Amino acid sequence: MDRLIATMLQTVQNYNPPPPITNSTGSLWTHISDALQQSVYRVLSLFIAVLPGILAVFVALTLFTLIGMALSSLLRRGLTFVKFDERLQRGNPEWTPSSSPTILIARGAFWGCVLLGMIIGVSAFDASYSTGTPLPISILPYLTHLVGAILVMIAGTVIARFLARSVLIGAVNAQLQYARFLSLGVKWLVLVLTTAMVLDHLEVGGKIVELAFGILFGGIVLTLALAIGLGSRDLVSRSLEGRVDKPERVPPPEIVPAPVEPIRHETIRHF
Amino acid sequence: MATANTVSNAQTTATAARADLLIFVAPMPPEQLESILEHLATEFQGEELLVATPNDATGTAYPQLRVVPVQATNAVWPIGAVDYVNAIHVARENEAKAILMLGPGADSLSPAALRGLVNSIAESKSDFAVPHYSLPPNAGLVNSAIIYPLTRALFASRVRFPLSIDMAFSTRMAERLGNTAQRFANQNQPDAIVWPVSEAMVAGLSIDEVDVGTRLLPQPAEPNINAILSLVTGSLFADIEAKAAFWQRPRRLLPEHRSFPAVPPVDGTVDIAPMVEAFRLAFTNLQEIWGLVLAPNSLLGLKRLSVVEPAAFRMPETLWARIVFDFLVAYRLRTINRGHLMGALIPLYLAWVAGHLNVVGSGTDAEVHVEAVASAFESEKQYIVSRWRWPDRFNS
Repeated sequence: MDRLIATMLQTVQNYNPPPPITNSTGSLWTHISDALQQSVYRVLSLFIAVLPGILAVFVALTLFTLIGMALSSLLRRGLTFVKFDERLQRGNPEWTPSSSPTILIARGAFWGCVLLGMIIGVSAFDASYSTGTPLPISILPYLTHLVGAILVMIAGTVIARFLARSVLIGAVNAQLQYARFLSLGVKWLVLVLTTAMVLDHLEVGGKIVELAFGILFGGIVLTLALAIGLGSRDLVSRSLEGRVDKPERVPPPEIVPAPVEPIRHETIRHF
Repeated sequence: MATANTVSNAQTTATAARADLLIFVAPMPPEQLESILEHLATEFQGEELLVATPNDATGTAYPQLRVVPVQATNAVWPIGAVDYVNAIHVARENEAKAILMLGPGADSLSPAALRGLVNSIAESKSDFAVPHYSLPPNAGLVNSAIIYPLTRALFASRVRFPLSIDMAFSTRMAERLGNTAQRFANQNQPDAIVWPVSEAMVAGLSIDEVDVGTRLLPQPAEPNINAILSLVTGSLFADIEAKAAFWQRPRRLLPEHRSFPAVPPVDGTVDIAPMVEAFRLAFTNLQEIWGLVLAPNSLLGLKRLSVVEPAAFRMPETLWARIVFDFLVAYRLRTINRGHLMGALIPLYLAWVAGHLNVVGSGTDAEVHVEAVASAFESEKQYIVSRWRWPDRFNS
């Protein structure tokens, strides 16, 4: 018993306590705090680095918009004063735009100034970003891709609508019963192609997009081919039958067909 | 500035001599040219006339006729701008007082018809003489449906065939036509369609219509109605757009003093079912596009029409007038692509043709129906003037 107690006392005496919990938590918080401070520092540094650029964009845009408004107003007044529209009309009576030439020129000048301001602003932003910040930011190059992708999307949508209408009107005038289906097929073909191009431009999806695009595009083409093929089955059959040489059928001598007055189908002449 | 005058100076100076009448003969097969020369030789015997033609006239049986060669053009139908330029240039060179232009197939015109056209100018009755053809009811349908009613309503002209391919005109009219045609030629549009009736009306020149009887009208080289209707209607719309300042003013149509012989009815039938089917198919598929162009009332009218049986099918005259006016406004505003716009008009035109043939088949004289259509266009003129000025008012 004494031995047991002595052993226990020895154990207690040899016990080396762990560092207090409060000290450990404080160290963790210190690390977190350091990380946060560094992060905030990095972001603030970045913000401070790009802030002049952002401000330059806004200032350039605002300034050139104001200049554009002033120039547009001046042009409008000046051209109206010299009766520019009437002179132009005398010189070229065939040209009749929906807006007057004066308004067109004034608008052109305004939007030209806005575009110039945007170019100058972006240029200033680019200069301040590349020289001012020591930290890489991956979102800014991505923004340019995004703008490119938006332009591709807009162009694709416009082309899809134009082609869809062309096909629809052409198919209706050719009296194809599946005109709308054909038009929708063409529209979706172009839209799918556009979407794939946009995703590729944004570098989203990688191989998956290519694969999905291939499947979708192929699927639409196959569907269209099947639809047109099945829909034109009778037409093709008739066409093929017409090419087959048939033996001339001679009526039996005892059956003499009575003369029938032919039904005249007058053709119409549009001109 | 370069001009499209294709008559060489050497040619014109070699043959330049005074001629009271210049006759321009459009490109045509040799046998047709020979027939026309025969008509001219007999009808205008002893008169000073000069024939200008791109056809090869060597070896002709009528050496007494002076023939000036002009460069051939691609224009087969209708007469292209550069043909006007050539004809008027030769007329100026030879101090001609009147010009007679004869289109392809003019050999089917009688000598008396040629004389009538020339006399109208020579006797100072008018500056511009246009033939009035006697066509069967199933011919010249684009003219009856669109060209004639629009020209009559907007330019206050009763000329039944504003796009005729034969005509005679004075030097004053030649000046006007020459300027217009030259402008097209300068814009590298040698085959552009010139609209002489609207030119004459805008210039305030007098127009006379001469009954020339029957004539075999050449058909366009392009057999596809879609392409040729777009070409002609688009050109007419562009001409109307260019002359908007003229036709928007109120103008009274001159009363008709002359009557023309009635057109004999045609034996046989025309199957209108395919045209009605084409219209129904278009109604099912093109509503989205028509909705951008037509006013809601017109769309409603088309909806009602789409359920009518072929036997009773008939496009109401007012509805047709408004449809054409709506398309004219859309052409001006570029509501949709102009090629699409003209394509979307074709099924509606076919619906009008189906209705017209039904009306004619029911015993009504074709000319009576065409006049009713033209009257509807006239009575709806205020609609186009309002839409032209305030297009957005009619969208709701």
